[in-house]
Amino acid sequence: MASATSSPRRPSASAQSESSQSDRRTVSATQSRNPVSQRLSKVLGTNFDNEDTRQALRTLSDLYAIPRGKEVHIVVDDGDDELGQESFETPLPAPTIVLVESVPGESAARARKNLRRDMETQLAEGSRKFLQALGEVDAKLCELQINVAAMRSSCDEAETQLALTNESSKLLLERAGSLRDERQEVEDKKSIISLFLARFTLSEAEIDALTSREVPIGQRFFQAMDKTERIREDCRVLMAGEDGSTRAGLEIMASTSSHLEQGYEKILRYCSTEFRNLGRDSQLEVSPGIKEAILRLRKRPELLTEALTILSETRQATLLSSFIAALTRGGPSGYPRPIELHAHDPLRYVGDMLAWVHQAIAAEREFLESIFSLKSDGRMVGSVRNAPQSEEEDWMRELMDLAVGKLCVPLKLRVQQTVRSQESSIVSYKIANLLQFYLMTMRRTIGEQALLSSTLKEITDIAYRVFYDSIETQSLALARSRFDHDDPSLTPPHVILDHAQILREVMQVYQSSLLGDEDEDEINAGINQVLDIMIDPVVQMCITNSEEKAKLRPRWDGQVFILNCLCYLQGVLAAFDFTTQKQKDLQTILNKRAKVLTDEHRDSILRDAGLWEITEAIVHHAGEEPLSRIPAAQPADLQRSLKNFSAWLSGLEVVQSPRLSQLIIQKMHTRIHQDALARLAQTYRRICEEVKNPANRYEAAATLLGSERPFGQVHLLWQIFGLEEREREEESESEDDESDGDDSDGSGSGKEGSEE
Amino acid sequence: MPSNYYDSDATELVETYDFLMKYIVIGEAGTGKSCLLHHFTHNSFKDHSQHTIGVEFSSRTVRLGEKRIKLQLWDTAGQERFRSVTRSYYRGAAGAILVYDITNRESFINLSRWLADARTLASPNLVVVLVGNKSDREDDREVEWAEASRWAAENDVHFLEASSLTGENVEAPFLMAARAILLAIESGTLDPEKAGSGVSYGDRALRRVNSSSRLSFGSLSGSARRKGGAVKLKVKNWIPGSKCC
Ligand SMILES: Nc1nc2c(ncn2[C@@H]2O[C@H](COP(=O)(O)OP(=O)(O)OP(=O)(O)O)[C@@H](O)[C@H]2O)c(=O)[nH]1
Ligand SMILES: [Mg+2]
Repeated sequence: MASATSSPRRPSASAQSESSQSDRRTVSATQSRNPVSQRLSKVLGTNFDNEDTRQALRTLSDLYAIPRGKEVHIVVDDGDDELGQESFETPLPAPTIVLVESVPGESAARARKNLRRDMETQLAEGSRKFLQALGEVDAKLCELQINVAAMRSSCDEAETQLALTNESSKLLLERAGSLRDERQEVEDKKSIISLFLARFTLSEAEIDALTSREVPIGQRFFQAMDKTERIREDCRVLMAGEDGSTRAGLEIMASTSSHLEQGYEKILRYCSTEFRNLGRDSQLEVSPGIKEAILRLRKRPELLTEALTILSETRQATLLSSFIAALTRGGPSGYPRPIELHAHDPLRYVGDMLAWVHQAIAAEREFLESIFSLKSDGRMVGSVRNAPQSEEEDWMRELMDLAVGKLCVPLKLRVQQTVRSQESSIVSYKIANLLQFYLMTMRRTIGEQALLSSTLKEITDIAYRVFYDSIETQSLALARSRFDHDDPSLTPPHVILDHAQILREVMQVYQSSLLGDEDEDEINAGINQVLDIMIDPVVQMCITNSEEKAKLRPRWDGQVFILNCLCYLQGVLAAFDFTTQKQKDLQTILNKRAKVLTDEHRDSILRDAGLWEITEAIVHHAGEEPLSRIPAAQPADLQRSLKNFSAWLSGLEVVQSPRLSQLIIQKMHTRIHQDALARLAQTYRRICEEVKNPANRYEAAATLLGSERPFGQVHLLWQIFGLEEREREEESESEDDESDGDDSDGSGSGKEGSEE
Repeated sequence: MPSNYYDSDATELVETYDFLMKYIVIGEAGTGKSCLLHHFTHNSFKDHSQHTIGVEFSSRTVRLGEKRIKLQLWDTAGQERFRSVTRSYYRGAAGAILVYDITNRESFINLSRWLADARTLASPNLVVVLVGNKSDREDDREVEWAEASRWAAENDVHFLEASSLTGENVEAPFLMAARAILLAIESGTLDPEKAGSGVSYGDRALRRVNSSSRLSFGSLSGSARRKGGAVKLKVKNWIPGSKCC
């Protein structure tokens, strides 16, 4: 619906009425002077179209409205009703009035007629009602007044009461306030206490974790353990304060102590079960739970001991059965073959067993390192350990010792059997050296105190004893033997060659067993016993035996034979550096024997050269009598001797001696021969000196000497011998002796011997 | 604090493994066996290396794909005089690293003897990797790569050249052998359950955990592969999750 203002094309009703009013004003302006017209125009101009008028008319209309009811038949159409609005003279709707209009406008006419009366009646009626109403109001007001008064008094009373109450509640309030404060205080305390409890007591769940078998060892358990420990630590700190130990503190300590112990017991149970059920596997891996558990148990050494005892038992049994299996059964499919399969090869058998043990130790150590959460330092098993001795190291050493110790019995049994059943001394020696090697290795790996180390020491000693026994038996048997008296040869006999061969092999084994870090004394100490056993009796036997044979067989050259044997032995020794001491000893004997031969040879050369008698005469010449008067030194004898000598000088013997050429060492031959020649030269010089000596009364001494080669010229003789001229015999002889002791001559000749 | 020890990835902190394998390192004296091993376990060159006396033990855990393998390594002396000792350690080895010196022809010539020894004394499925060591000394080379490679092929062993000095290819032979052994297990020719195979399983319980927590292992092996860039070995034939685990 469009509003009037929003549709300018349709002028509003008020605009229309305004325009009609202005029209009327134009008319009135022309007749303004006439009062009647003025009045008229005023009446005419009166506009009833306003709200008040309408209201008045409506009131009237209501007054005379035709009442609508069932019993009343009103025959009025809607059009009449609208008209009726303008003709407000509709008869009053008095109940008495006949309501049906028989004639249109009848009621309006009646209304117009009775209006005043009706109004007055109405007014009177209204006033009466009003009075009546006011009267009622008056009565009510009187009543109200009474009530108000009553109320006031009650109020006063209440006020008094209130004041009273106020007074008394003030106390209450104060009390309530203090109670509230108290409550706050209590609440603070409570929260502090619950904090305290949370900090100083274990929750149900935590206690459960510690004590119940249902909760497995794991993070939850270990956290509960940590908390318990922390509580106790805190508690101890608190109790150490000024207040000293409190009851709460003591109680906390008591209850946590019980829980803690139960926790530790639980760890112990866990470890025990785990350790008992450790696989029968020799290759082990350790779960983190176990590692943690062992770390914890370190605070309870007695429990740790218990757990580790169980571990140790399992490991001992496991290792032992693995070892026996490896020995007798090998792998399930036969691979690797059982170690005992090679029992016929003693070195391999013993070596395999020891290597198995060594490898088991390595695995065991790795296992224990991980049990104790030790970081492997990358150190290799078998190499020297110089780690600080920690508690874990002690444990590990003990556990290793125990685990591996169990292997000692079967190991010892088998090694001993093998060692004892050896016939070859070389094999015995090899086994002994192998054992020695492992003894060193094990000592470095599991310590000197370990049972395995001492067992190995024992078996090693046994093996060495077996070896020494065998070479001793051999040497003694050799010493007791007699040379074949019918054998004319001067070279070392087979028995000695065989013996030397064994010695050589033993020394080779020894040499290869040296690790290179031993000092000289150690090296010598390791072989000296062998050399003593194998050399000394043989040397002795050689000498006595030969002398014996030489007596029975004078044509057999015992001296050369002895030297040949000794040189041969020396040659065997000379191939090894660690025999120097023995070589020296042997050399001394050799020198002694060589000297005997040298002396014999000098004499025999002197004889062969024809100077023996004259020399004897000179040597034994004493007293006043001149030499030329002594038999054998008389000029004619001297002349003969010198002639013989000259003849000898052109012979072969000057270069070499048939006897000495039997020596297997050419150098020795040369040396002895040259010694003899030197002495010959010196003897010749002496003869010359004596002959030239006027006291000896040789006539024409120079002619006598110059008649035969070398014509009294000693230096010429040295030249013929191809020797450096030596001064005096005695001195050179003693020098010789000394130099022989440490001279390379002997060993040099020995080396030649070894090459033969 | 010991409790740290036990957090969620504690299994990665501690050394766990799926397989344990025994290796021997053999070859002539002075070829650099000890140096090779030292570089493998310590990641550095071993100065002033002396002749090995008898045998020495060391170990290291390696990752191959998703598998963690603990290697027990036995370094043997090459000197003849220790032969009788070292031969006892061949027993039950799963892998052998056979080392020669590329600058020493003699050490190459003698390989047949070493190989024969190893084949008769170790486990029947012995995996052998031939290593031509001292590859850094190219100028003194006496054995050509091709010749050694041919020898390796003829004798059915793996082959590569390495330098314990520079570290080149030092890890590869060990991983190569491990891979071949794992393949043998996978194909059923090798059974770790059998003693003497030179291989055994890691802790069973852990293995169960591991197989259910593949992801964490996957990430581990991921980093291993990154780190292993220097390792000239491609782990591609190995299919994880097969029946061996
Ligand atoms: N240039 C070079 N030298 C090396 C290399 N590896 C080892 N060497 C040297 O070779 C020598 C011998 O090395 P080792 O590792 O002791 O030899 P080995 O094989 O263990 O010897 P044995 O223990 O006697 O069997 C040492 O002097 C090392 O320094 C290499 O890769 N390059
Ligand atoms: Mg070495």
